[in-house]
Amino acid sequence: MNVFSRGIRNAFRNQIRTIAVVGILSLSIGLSLAMLVAHKAVDQKINSVKASAGNTITIAPAGFSNFSQVNNALTTTLLSKVSQLAHVTSLTETLSDRLKTIGSVSASSFGANSTSSSNQTSLTSPVIINADSKRGLRAFTFGGLSGIPSNFSPPITITGTNDPYSLNSNNLSLSGGNFINGNLDNNQAMVSTSMASKNNLRVGSTFTAYNTTLTVTGIFLNNGNQSLGNNIIVSLPTEQSLSGQSGAVTSAIATVDSEDNLASVTTSVKNILGSNADVENAQNIANQTIQPLNSVSSVSMYSLIGAVVAGAVIILMIMIMITRERRREIGVLKAIGASNFKVVTQFVSEAVTFAVLAAVVGIIIGVAAASPITNTLIKNSSASSTSTNFSGGFRTATHFGGTNGPALLSGGRGLGKVRNEISNVKTEVGWSIIGYGFSAAIIIAVAGSSIAAWFIAKVRPAEVMRME
Amino acid sequence: MLAVNKISKTFKSGDGGIFNAVDNVSFKVKQGVFASIVGPSGSGKTTLLSLLGALDRPSSGSITVDGQDISKFNDHELTNYRARNVGLVFQSYNLIPNLTALENVMLPMEFVGLGKLTREQRARELLNQVGLSGDKQQRKPGKLSGGEQQRVAIARALANKPKIILADEPTGNLDSVNGKNIFNLLHELSKNQKTTVIVITHDISLAGKTDQRFSLTDGKLQKDKDLPRSFR
Repeated sequence: MNVFSRGIRNAFRNQIRTIAVVGILSLSIGLSLAMLVAHKAVDQKINSVKASAGNTITIAPAGFSNFSQVNNALTTTLLSKVSQLAHVTSLTETLSDRLKTIGSVSASSFGANSTSSSNQTSLTSPVIINADSKRGLRAFTFGGLSGIPSNFSPPITITGTNDPYSLNSNNLSLSGGNFINGNLDNNQAMVSTSMASKNNLRVGSTFTAYNTTLTVTGIFLNNGNQSLGNNIIVSLPTEQSLSGQSGAVTSAIATVDSEDNLASVTTSVKNILGSNADVENAQNIANQTIQPLNSVSSVSMYSLIGAVVAGAVIILMIMIMITRERRREIGVLKAIGASNFKVVTQFVSEAVTFAVLAAVVGIIIGVAAASPITNTLIKNSSASSTSTNFSGGFRTATHFGGTNGPALLSGGRGLGKVRNEISNVKTEVGWSIIGYGFSAAIIIAVAGSSIAAWFIAKVRPAEVMRME
Repeated sequence: MLAVNKISKTFKSGDGGIFNAVDNVSFKVKQGVFASIVGPSGSGKTTLLSLLGALDRPSSGSITVDGQDISKFNDHELTNYRARNVGLVFQSYNLIPNLTALENVMLPMEFVGLGKLTREQRARELLNQVGLSGDKQQRKPGKLSGGEQQRVAIARALANKPKIILADEPTGNLDSVNGKNIFNLLHELSKNQKTTVIVITHDISLAGKTDQRFSLTDGKLQKDKDLPRSFR
């Protein structure tokens, strides 16, 4: 038996104490690990959200709400000045509206543009509201209705755009036909596969909207995405003409050549559009959106530090208690020839044994608790953020059609995609985390037993004789 | 040869004054002598033993063992000296409770760097020598009687073949039969192994059987003419 094995054996000298010490310490280590995992996962997500935010500037008419812009403030003429700015590589303009379906209750009740008196379509929405009564009820709360009409077919979104290759940050691909030309007023339309299936549409089929016959030239894949599937896409001039809103735009996205120029171009756009528009760049939106994650990151970091300090204090107090209790034994060891180094090593071995046992249990606790703790932190943080940051139209819109609602209603503001991302934080407990856990446990043990070592060095062997 | 030359040990008393626990003590003990120190409680016996065992340093004076002045040793040298040259036996045995008798005896040998096999072999020999054999060697101190624990303590004190064994009231916690046996054991060791044994005892009759006797009163060594007749 050597000094290490004696230290290890001493750790089991009092079994009840060993269980208590390992139990408390493992909770501390488990919490530290869970917080470390949460912190890393959230930081990773923050970085990925920032990286994926892109170099875009979203422009919406000031006061834009529920597909109705106030005073038609945003126009293609005004936006042409934006497209001419240095560093702006492209400008996507859209005009969205909602069409009521034949036989349905008034679409305007659910946010359809009230400026047009003929905003009706022959198509039926592929969205099935009554399949999930809870979802349906949530959907209707934003419209101010308190029940589900028996013959209800939800309004269909029609979007006029000069970029038919994407919609609400979703890149589109076709299952048949061709993309429309976004700059021609030719009454051609693209519908989703869900819409086509629901209404037996094929490439070349026709339907009516705004009392005008439109021809299907392309069918895009919506891959089960109900919000995307509830769309008709036409060119911007076609929608402006059909809806009677000549030159009007409900949203625009300017793409800038580099992230470095994003802030300066945003300022220039604000200067051009003035009070006519709300202008935000993708990085600002991402920063706003990841606010809940930032708070989770801070909470997890403080909790991590707190748990590590608590662990160190626990082992420190335990080792002080043990050395005081064994003062006589320390004196005997020194009296029979043990050096301070040998005695300290024995007590450090004992502390490390406690810490390693606690680390094993703590890692199991940490692995089991990391995901639930992270999710709870994010959920709580997101809930409070949603009620504060996304007030008004965005808060209600969040509920429509599940998680894709904001993207659908925001006209490409990009918030929906980013918000989807932040609610999808994945925790991973890799070997590096387990390594951190063990290292932290050893550091806690050595640091915690350092004061005990000081006590040991102070014990004079002559005291043992006087204790007799 | 152990030579104590005018050593004193002073402590600060509670009222701020200075208290002489050992006061200008001088004596010599030859190698292999069985000596005893007697004296009333508080006379400085234990303090003197601590100084002889290099557990503490004298405030003044010198202690020379085979020509080496141990009072000038630094902490590291004192530890090394204790490990190799001094064996200690305590009144309440002071064995390590979670180690077996065998492991307790092996312990001092670990501090001087002996290998495990050598330690174990010598520890068994020593335990057999003090009369503790068989499964009792694998028992922890709590499972041994007082006399047996003191035998283990003596075996531990002998582990590194020390020049001096210092025993502080080694029979104090034992009944008279066991006390006599332990005393005889220490006596035999001094004779057979030429080890200097210095014992603190209250028992005048036991002290009378030792080769050399010292009496302490108020930290001062008494002259032979002041000792009781039976003690001289």
